[in-house]
Amino acid sequence: MDRTVQPAESPAAAPRQAVARPKLSLPADPRSAATPPAARARALSKVYGTGEATVRALDAVDIDFAAGAFTAIMGPSGSGKSTLMHLLAGLDTASSGQAFLGATEITGLDDGALTRLRRDRVGFVFQQFNLLPMFTAEQNILLPLELAGLPREARARAAAKAASREWFDTLVATLGLADRLTHRPAELSGGQQQRVAIARALIAKPDVVFADEPTGNLDSRSGAEVLSFLRRSVRELGRTVIMVTHDPAAAAYADRVVLLADGAIAGDISEPTPESVLAGLDALRSLDGSVLDTAAAR
Amino acid sequence: MWRLTLAQMRRSLGRLTAAGLAIVIGTAFVAATLIAGGVITRTSYDAVSASYADADLVATSEGGLTAADLATLRDTPGVEALDGRRSLRVELVSGPQRAVPEVAAVASDPRLEAQELVSGAFPTAVGEVAVPGPMAERLGVGVGDPLTASRQVWTPDAAQDPATGTDPEEPAGTWTNVPEELTVVGLLSDPAGAFAESGGAVLVVADDADRWAAQDATGSVVGSSGDVATATFTRAVIALTDGADVGQVTAALEATAPEGTTIRTKDDEAAAKVSELTNGSDILTTIVLGFAAIALLVAALVISNTFQVLIAQRTRALALLRCVGADKRQLRRSVLQEAGLLGLASSALGLALGVGLAQVTLSVLGRMNSGVPLPPTVSITSAVVLAPLVVGTLVTVMAALAPARAATKVAPLAALRPADAPTLAHRRSLPRLVLAVLLTVVGAALLGLAVVVGQSSDAFLALGIGVLGGILSFVGVLVGAVFWVPRVVGAAGRLLATRSMAAKLAAANTVRNPRRTAATSAALLIGVTLVAMMSTGAASTRTTLDGALDDQFPVDVAISRDAPAVAADGTTSDPVTPALVATVADVPGVIETVALRDLFVQLEFGGATEWTDAFAIDPAAAGAVLRAPSMMAGLDDSTAVLSSGIAERLGISAGDRVTLTPELVGPDGVTAATGEPVELTAVLTDLPGGVAFTPGALARTGADLPTNQVWARLADSNDASTVVPAIEDALSETAVQIAGAAVERAMFQRIIDTLLAVVVGLLGVAVVIALIGVANTLSLSVLERRRESATLRAIGLSRRQLRAMLAIEGMLIAGVGAVIGAVLGTLYGWAGVATLVGSMGEVRLDVPWGQLGLVVLVALVAGLLASVIPGRAAARTSPVAALAVD
Repeated sequence: MDRTVQPAESPAAAPRQAVARPKLSLPADPRSAATPPAARARALSKVYGTGEATVRALDAVDIDFAAGAFTAIMGPSGSGKSTLMHLLAGLDTASSGQAFLGATEITGLDDGALTRLRRDRVGFVFQQFNLLPMFTAEQNILLPLELAGLPREARARAAAKAASREWFDTLVATLGLADRLTHRPAELSGGQQQRVAIARALIAKPDVVFADEPTGNLDSRSGAEVLSFLRRSVRELGRTVIMVTHDPAAAAYADRVVLLADGAIAGDISEPTPESVLAGLDALRSLDGSVLDTAAAR
Repeated sequence: MWRLTLAQMRRSLGRLTAAGLAIVIGTAFVAATLIAGGVITRTSYDAVSASYADADLVATSEGGLTAADLATLRDTPGVEALDGRRSLRVELVSGPQRAVPEVAAVASDPRLEAQELVSGAFPTAVGEVAVPGPMAERLGVGVGDPLTASRQVWTPDAAQDPATGTDPEEPAGTWTNVPEELTVVGLLSDPAGAFAESGGAVLVVADDADRWAAQDATGSVVGSSGDVATATFTRAVIALTDGADVGQVTAALEATAPEGTTIRTKDDEAAAKVSELTNGSDILTTIVLGFAAIALLVAALVISNTFQVLIAQRTRALALLRCVGADKRQLRRSVLQEAGLLGLASSALGLALGVGLAQVTLSVLGRMNSGVPLPPTVSITSAVVLAPLVVGTLVTVMAALAPARAATKVAPLAALRPADAPTLAHRRSLPRLVLAVLLTVVGAALLGLAVVVGQSSDAFLALGIGVLGGILSFVGVLVGAVFWVPRVVGAAGRLLATRSMAAKLAAANTVRNPRRTAATSAALLIGVTLVAMMSTGAASTRTTLDGALDDQFPVDVAISRDAPAVAADGTTSDPVTPALVATVADVPGVIETVALRDLFVQLEFGGATEWTDAFAIDPAAAGAVLRAPSMMAGLDDSTAVLSSGIAERLGISAGDRVTLTPELVGPDGVTAATGEPVELTAVLTDLPGGVAFTPGALARTGADLPTNQVWARLADSNDASTVVPAIEDALSETAVQIAGAAVERAMFQRIIDTLLAVVVGLLGVAVVIALIGVANTLSLSVLERRRESATLRAIGLSRRQLRAMLAIEGMLIAGVGAVIGAVLGTLYGWAGVATLVGSMGEVRLDVPWGQLGLVVLVALVAGLLASVIPGRAAARTSPVAALAVD
């Protein structure tokens, strides 16, 4: 396959709107123009296997993800959306090309540097929640901070503690977890678990939060709740969220939807609505006849 | 179902291998023990039958067979040759060398000759002797050389007529040494080891043997007259004529033989004798098998644990099977089949390993030429093959029973649920708790009772109660392990958790599956408890004995010498010279020495007298060298220290004036010197026996008594086993007697240390198996927690931290098991010592800190090592791959 990235060329794609934001009462967002993107890919490729069995999961992708925005990545199964997220998050190594987190090029970093990067600058929300069963909600939330450790110097230590405590309280209040902090994951509903996972992802104030099908294991009400929290964390708490999903309704919560097909960018929708996302997906389907992954998660 | 079982086994091969290893080691232990027992039995069988050479029949008689009896038997039709056998020894002298071999008469028929001629000829005349090759070498003689037989001959006093015997109980007479000159005519070898037990036998003609036997019999038997006829034989070996019917001849022999004679074929006789002898080796085999049983028990815990985890991991597959129609019985059977196959395969491997080990050991021992003829190859009997296979397989299947039941409890619906990591099962059954508490309490009470009983009465009864109590309480502890071990591990983890995140995670991980943590720790607990019990028991026994010895023998080492020292110029001096004292003082480990006079005194008080042992010693020097200086308290030139025993017998109180008359008895039993009586003031101390006074007081008696003893004190009484031989070596050229507490101590220490080493070595197998269990548990945990580890990696846990987490986890499980085992073992060891040694005196409990520390350290290091491979695997896995796992 020799498809190059031509996101706007497909005739049936939803009209590409200018990235203008006439919405809500937020202060005019200067970041979209002035601040550098939170994450970037340049000719990023990932190849699995060799010879006949070669699969290009990601094929020379160029894309920017704006800071302070909620971006959804959509695409059929095998379109490379998870691979793109893993590469941007430093979980996986690219075959070629570059990935940047802020100004840091993460392609080429060694495992130790990647670990520190994930710990300090990236947050994760998983489909399976992936909370540690032996820890309480509070312990789970604070885990990334504990992994990072506290400054050795006493005053800095106290300051860091106080700052993180304040941020912790804010998160807990925002996510409505105050009365669930002493519970273990087994004693929490799916929605509550995912909210704990979001708090855990945000506790270290990461540059980017990556969410991988965060609503895949939730009923629609809990799913909606989780998505609104993710949106609030962007709009009210100033975070950057990149979410992989197959659910058009979930994608509609985002500020922007990037469509992937066969390892390449196949569309880009700003100010998505469920309808515009569906239309984009339909267009994709008619483009290459692939079967879209609109079925249930698993 | 078999296809399914095999398919599942293939998938879990790695995990099963680790579990199987435990069984392999256990069954190898059993197989090797059985083979060793077989070799011991066989060796003694060979040794017994070897002395019968190629005899067809063996006659044994309780009352002994006389020469006349033998002649009668020899005349029985069908008997070709018949030789009497007796146990007779002779002292052979060649220059400074001596040997005391058994004596056998040259066989009248080559078939009855147990030894082979290497060179020269068999003796044919009186005064000729054939000597085993190695013995000839030691004596420095060859064929044709002279050799002296040193015979002690009893000569009755002429005054005493045996017929009228004034005192038949004590025949008067003297032993005189009558040397006989012999000539070596042949050198022998003993390929079958017929005389291996007694160190070899020389051959002489029957006349010599009979005469010597008669000489030995005379005098020792009251009223015997040195008649050859009175010297009897214990058995006779018989060779039959060709074609004679064994049954007929046996019957004929039995008819003519004196009452109490048994005629058996050579094989029957050997078997009968071996069954008498093997009691010892059977007990040994039984004891070692007991240790093998412990090893297998630990292996069973490891297996059970592994299967529990396997079932948990297969929940989905099992549920799916239930969905498509498998019933509970089939699932159960499948698990048991799997266990059976694993057990059989592992046991077969273990058997091969055990046989191989035994064979290697035999080859090594054979090459070392120990003098005992060993079979060149192990003999594989059906018991050696079947016992390990059956036991190993059974243990595995039994260990899998509980997991098999768990498999049947998987609901079909589980197949439809998302596969989560195995949940934290907090199933705490009340009956189990009650049983555990009950067993522990009752067992502990019995242990206490045993200690009380042991102080006062029957040691065997106390031991029985104690063993029962120990087993009950330990089973209680193990049954209850699931309740308290995780808590202890958790508490230990929390102590560590403040240090680092890895420690915090590790601590949390160890308590998430209490049952597994408990089982893993318990497996280690068994071995460590037993090792610690043995170490503590040995240490406390040693301390207690040391204490008893300190009281009994206040002197570490007492070196006495009777013969006067002769200087180079021929002048004589006191037996103990300053040079001798200096030699003793120079031995490393000796810190104090004092030279003194050991003598007899006649003690007189209020008309009563008593002869007693006495020491003339300088009080200051005595205080330094004695373990209990209080014994010499109050000693000066005007006093005599008396033991309480003497004071009681003579009715002496402290402050009484007693009269002492010294006397020295020479080596020939004749009084060599006496002194004038001297009056001294009695001082009573805890001196264990005799009287002590000062050289000054002795001088006043005017007796000229030589310095004849040295007392030495060791820096550390625990060094006795090295220092005492060193003193012996330093004084090897002087005829001295060495006695004292240190000598006894050295002997006890050697026995205790040897026993301890053997027991700990045997228990070590169980500990090794348990450590395999720790590694197994860790690697299973790693597999189970793949996704969790990936999550941790994703949110910023470094590889190092991940590995550290597993290392700490392994060390926590192993360390807690080892520490609890050490504590429990110490308690059991104390209880055991208090029970067994309590009657001997004051029990002094000791903790072998060094050994316990070593055990815990080994466990910690093993826990750390056990985490290495799983840790590497976990750290290598990319987070993405692990997150993709369902």
